[in-house]
Amino acid sequence: MSEVAQAGVRGFRQVDEVVWELGREARSDMRVPARVFADHELIGQIAADRSLEQLQNVATLPGITGAALAMPDIHQGYGFPVGGVAATELPDGIVSPGGVGYDINCGVRLLALPLTVGELVGRTEALVHEISRRVPVGTGHGGALRLKGPAFDRVLVHGPRVLLAEHGIGTPEDVVHTESEGCLSGADPATVSDRARVRGADQLGTLGSGNHFLEVQRVAKIVDPEAAGVFGLRQDQVTVLIHSGSRGFGHQVCSDYVRMMDAVQARYRITLPDRELACAPLSSPEGRRYLAAMACAAHFAWGNRAVLAHRVREAVARILGPRIAEGARQVYDVAHNVAKLEVHDGRELCVHRKGATRAFPAGSPEIPRTFRKVGQPVFIPGSMGTSSFVLVGREGAMERSFGTTCHGAGRRMSRTGARRQITGAELRHQLEAQGIVVRCPSNPGLAEEAPFAYKDVERVVAVVEQAGLAGRVAQLVPIGVVKG
Amino acid sequence: MSYRWVEHTAEMEMEIETATEEAVFTDALHALSELVADDAGGEQVRREVVVRGRERAALLVGWLEELVFLAETEDLVPEETERIEVSDHRLMATVRGHRGRPRHLVKGATYHGLVFERSPGGFRATVVLDV
Repeated sequence: MSEVAQAGVRGFRQVDEVVWELGREARSDMRVPARVFADHELIGQIAADRSLEQLQNVATLPGITGAALAMPDIHQGYGFPVGGVAATELPDGIVSPGGVGYDINCGVRLLALPLTVGELVGRTEALVHEISRRVPVGTGHGGALRLKGPAFDRVLVHGPRVLLAEHGIGTPEDVVHTESEGCLSGADPATVSDRARVRGADQLGTLGSGNHFLEVQRVAKIVDPEAAGVFGLRQDQVTVLIHSGSRGFGHQVCSDYVRMMDAVQARYRITLPDRELACAPLSSPEGRRYLAAMACAAHFAWGNRAVLAHRVREAVARILGPRIAEGARQVYDVAHNVAKLEVHDGRELCVHRKGATRAFPAGSPEIPRTFRKVGQPVFIPGSMGTSSFVLVGREGAMERSFGTTCHGAGRRMSRTGARRQITGAELRHQLEAQGIVVRCPSNPGLAEEAPFAYKDVERVVAVVEQAGLAGRVAQLVPIGVVKG
Repeated sequence: MSYRWVEHTAEMEMEIETATEEAVFTDALHALSELVADDAGGEQVRREVVVRGRERAALLVGWLEELVFLAETEDLVPEETERIEVSDHRLMATVRGHRGRPRHLVKGATYHGLVFERSPGGFRATVVLDV
């Protein structure tokens, strides 16, 4: 065992090649151990910010079971670290809005087009440009699907299946190929504030800013031919990856409920090391109301990505023709900021995934029939200009992480730090020199997402593979990017 | 200006040191404006704002959330506070700004590491914004 492993990292001891653990005895308020999936290189990067301290704070939450878990892409967040997983047991374990985050059901959708990059040649820039014209980014409202009153509420209750039935957006296969078929139980629009409705009114089908993006990609490598075949992916195929969430609607739901729960901590005799961990028992009125509102926001996010995918198909139809657009299949859509009620080892748990992705294995009844032979698809976007990965859920995830794997590369440098090292114009030039078409109206926004501001996504993926949480299926490389 | 940005891996953490309590809120507006401002100078507008909270720190979170809400729903790029009154559980202010195309960068103001306290020089506050 190495010197680092023997000495530990901030008290975390290495228990196997890719698992580091801090016992619950480390702090008097910890109810369970804190456990991190990482290799030597990543644990060093992780220890450089406050994410390990935040993970220990999560371990203090009432009703938490097993361990407070961190994926290898963990980084400092607010309250929960990003890349954190916490399962609390019903009925009286807590639910924490901060454990889901402001961007409820931020997630990733992957479309696979029926053509290869060779067949696209000469039309890449036109395609990326057309997508950027149709997809509002940054401050944009134009192009959004504006729904009011009962029509808006039906999306909140039922998710993207309503967009299909009432507005012709998406396909029946899209709905099936969405985590939980895009619909969680218990969604209740009465639990959502008017302010959330106002913020969300013109944002269905908008990408947003920050790390949200839309990428046109090439399947650069097939690692698992069987799973790739089941997912409908082949060498050199063109794919489109959409990364966005619940926009202002979900942000407001989170704000409303963090404030509500902050006010009731004394009533439930909850003492927290960080106010942003504000929470309430799942059985309490506040806990139930939050889950009902969170489900509405999750539906909004799935609806948002459904409209974004619709705009992509419109762009594909215009540039590549209607036959290609009709053949653009949705591989799957995964959520990476959400709390879900799931049964693990016969116990009903609320699994908070904050910057972490569900990764159910082969045979799970919770995933579409077409995938049950191999497991659930998981999408891990890399940083701009680097590879993204398609993974498949493995049995180890059920045994070690409540059916969860990582969600991305994970930041390792602040936004201001990134801007100090490169300008947006320089980065745009570098990406274009790699043959990547870039459409981004904000130079500072582009610089903040520079590849060097993130961990090495290949290393992150290697860790979850070694830990048995997920397996590599395919590697995707960007050929065009649209961001706000 | 008496605010600065503290290094944070993913989010934006503002730290404010001011002589007066009211100036904490005014400088929080300036800091937020730096994040969302556009280059355009549109129609000048004023907006009356009322925020309620359990204490000063919660008022600061509520104030920032109100400014984010106005930016996102009314395209209001905040520039200055023209009047501000702070009491134990309520803040009333007149916000001046212009209609523009503010960046939708800030998702919410958080309670993580939230500080609002007296300091040798007056008042000190820190807030982490989810971006």
